[in-house]
Amino acid sequence: MSNDDDQQLVDAAKAGSADAFADLVRVYRVRLLRFLLTRSTSYADAEDALQDTLIAAYRYLHTYDSRWRFSTWLYRIAIRNAGRIRSQSVVELGDLGDEEGDPMLQCIKASETENLWVSARRVLNDEVFAATWLRYAEDMSINDISIALDRPDSWTKVNLLRARRALDTEMNRKNNGNEAYG
Amino acid sequence: MDKLAKKLKADAALIEVQVSDELDRRITASLQGVRPEIAVRPAVQRRPPVFWWASSLTGVAAALTLIAIVNFRSQVDDTLAVSPDMSPVAVATAPIIEWKAESAMLTGPLQQELLDLQSDLKKAEEKVKQEIGL
Repeated sequence: MSNDDDQQLVDAAKAGSADAFADLVRVYRVRLLRFLLTRSTSYADAEDALQDTLIAAYRYLHTYDSRWRFSTWLYRIAIRNAGRIRSQSVVELGDLGDEEGDPMLQCIKASETENLWVSARRVLNDEVFAATWLRYAEDMSINDISIALDRPDSWTKVNLLRARRALDTEMNRKNNGNEAYG
Repeated sequence: MDKLAKKLKADAALIEVQVSDELDRRITASLQGVRPEIAVRPAVQRRPPVFWWASSLTGVAAALTLIAIVNFRSQVDDTLAVSPDMSPVAVATAPIIEWKAESAMLTGPLQQELLDLQSDLKKAEEKVKQEIGL
């Protein structure tokens, strides 16, 4: 969905159309849930964060500034909610080593164990992981990522470059490993 | 799009998530229970034109009063300032004081003080060196 389509729905929702906001929810709920899964310690936490995000977005829709993309604003709320819910949780993301506990690993098929996002979460810190996700999974611009993470553009550029180097190394290591065994 | 970007995009899509019916119902119910807050702008109170005229006239009157007071006071000050006989009288009655001043010779004691301080410092330095075995 393009930014213009989003804007039309947002305008309608601001004017009081609940259906327009329901359409926005349908567009973003799966994408948001996937992102929130990478930042949560359980599937239930990710679902709670999604629900809180959508409620907050609806309640404070009048504060949305149309100079931003709607998705940027939404992800910014989602990041805050995920952080808040995780701070209440006893388990930390770093403690999740096994598939039983990690909601992201639960959602990856057993045959897809080479998923680069699993490595990304191991080698990148939380914030850099989020920046990388927004860039490569959500195709966000540097400026939008900076707004979503409340960081300067320079921080985003530098950390995306570092993340790329780290993930390139991981990808090559995996490819070499496969070739050696193949 | 380069190889890494393609791989990341594809791998993100491989994380399979589904919004369950239960979650969908929860979200719908929550949204129905929420009323979006409406931006409250302070109401602009339009005053009648009479207010504008009244405030303008009050301002003009205050300015005129101030100008009149300042002009009156400057005229009074001018009349008081004309008194040609005052300054000679004041000079004649003032006593003449003969000052006997000498320049103080402070350089000698200060120089001695400086030498003493340098000597103390040197002694302290030697003492420290002895204590640490240099």
